[in-house]
Amino acid sequence: MSPIRMQVKVGRGLVLRNPVLTASGTFGYGLEFEPFCDLAALGGIVVKGISPRPRAGNPPPRLVETPCGMLNAIGLQNVGVERFRTEKLPLLREHGATVVVNVYGHEVADYVAVVRALEEETGIAAFELNLSCPNVKEGGLEIGRSPRAIREVTAAVREVTSRPLWVKLTPAVTDIVETAEAAVSGGADALSLINTFPGMVVDVETRRPVLHRGTGGLSGPAIRPLAVALVHRVARAVDVPVIGIGGITSVRDVVEFLLVGATAVQVGTANFHDPALAARLVRELDAWCEARGVADVRELVGALEENR
Amino acid sequence: MPQDLRARVLEQEELGGGCFRMRLDAAPIAREARAGQFVMIGLPDPAETLVRRPFSVARLVPDTGEPEALEIVYKVYGRRTRQMTRFRPGTEVALLGPLGRGFWIPGEAEGTEVLLVAGGIGAAPFPLFLQRAGKDLAGRTTLFLGGGTRDDLLLVDWFRERCGEVVLVTEDGSAGERGLVTGPLAARLDAPPRGERVVLACGPRPMLRAVAELCLARDVPCQLSLEERMACGFGACLGCVVERRHPEGEFDRYVRVCTEGPVFDAREVLP
Repeated sequence: MSPIRMQVKVGRGLVLRNPVLTASGTFGYGLEFEPFCDLAALGGIVVKGISPRPRAGNPPPRLVETPCGMLNAIGLQNVGVERFRTEKLPLLREHGATVVVNVYGHEVADYVAVVRALEEETGIAAFELNLSCPNVKEGGLEIGRSPRAIREVTAAVREVTSRPLWVKLTPAVTDIVETAEAAVSGGADALSLINTFPGMVVDVETRRPVLHRGTGGLSGPAIRPLAVALVHRVARAVDVPVIGIGGITSVRDVVEFLLVGATAVQVGTANFHDPALAARLVRELDAWCEARGVADVRELVGALEENR
Repeated sequence: MPQDLRARVLEQEELGGGCFRMRLDAAPIAREARAGQFVMIGLPDPAETLVRRPFSVARLVPDTGEPEALEIVYKVYGRRTRQMTRFRPGTEVALLGPLGRGFWIPGEAEGTEVLLVAGGIGAAPFPLFLQRAGKDLAGRTTLFLGGGTRDDLLLVDWFRERCGEVVLVTEDGSAGERGLVTGPLAARLDAPPRGERVVLACGPRPMLRAVAELCLARDVPCQLSLEERMACGFGACLGCVVERRHPEGEFDRYVRVCTEGPVFDAREVLP
């Protein structure tokens, strides 16, 4: 047992065993990673966005690698809340995973319906509202760009759950502090920053976008400095914990997000490159702290040296 | 069970037509690999390869007995395949596999005739098929090997040694018959069958569509090996989907190439 204290609190008394989670959409329903990774070793698994009814997703091609990144337009393909509840959640419970359910809908009633359908289930640590998907026609960014809509959805879900409620924000706004404050005023216990940036790649020979949908969401190391700056800004502006997301591939990236104020992080696109990465980062973060005499990982949170 | 290994490149050879053969020191994956399954390959550092690329396991080494290494054959198409041509013996790669559902080799029923249809780099999964098939079934196998020109026809001598019959087809007539591979395939399918028949096809989508239609119209069992852009290879990213031929409902429109495939019954999907 490591002498380093790794637990972090992420809103409403929720204690995670460590600050390394996996980001929604990059870790399936967790079960796909079971051959490679001890799911119970992770701080948490944020599952693929769940909608009230199953979704087929967008036509292919759905993804393309970009310089130090990846562009995707999956379109929130998912099994829907009922099959998630009966087929996926029981297995996740068996594995001892800390499960955060990412919730997606077109309108307020959809978000409420998903959370209601799961509220009585055991083995769910928190809900994360996806108010930021760039790859669907309705909901997603339409809600995610409007502070008023964010507050409305968050408050409506707050009414129907006693669980910790996280809100995942888009970076595609003029002032992310406005949307962050809207989520907090609606009752969010923590904020997940950030979802992907809208992007596009064109095949210059065919003169067509590579992705069938045209545009997609940009993730990966290419967006990390952008994410770090936004987490830095929001963590200073709000009183709730911030969960840092964007291009994490190594333990130094994890520490970087913690230093600028993230209480925990989510590993995303790099899970596809290396399905054992997230669990390894837990061990490496422990070793990183031990080597530097950091006894409690919380000492790193917001410990950025701002003076030159 | 797939394994995620660090494997060393043992050798690399340019085959012509922009195609390469790469041998990898990956005995644990080679032992498990079935014909039609694939591996994901990239450099271990995500800064160098954020998204690994899928390739059919083409061939095991040695030819018979306990496998010690595996080979892929690939065509230079974009940034990552260009990067792969620079791998030298000793280069360490992150290799995940074997992945997906391969061809289901037909039973040893007396006289079952296997028709392999390959378009260009689509020949990749068939050497392993012949290795796993054994001498008897390989002897009852015909390979229709098509390409734009002579240089696109891969491993011709190797196939000739192991396959009952090899039919070459090129669009420009530089080797074998002139035309598309579906020409001689259709002629064979319309000839009186010697017994049970099954068609296994891999190649560009237009070829797969044509092969599927030929087989479906004649009620000949047909398996298609598909390719699609994918990020993980093990069912999580949902990037590599293909449309079902007969979806049960709006929500079942797609299946994952990496997990439900890459080999599908032609009746299942719309290639």
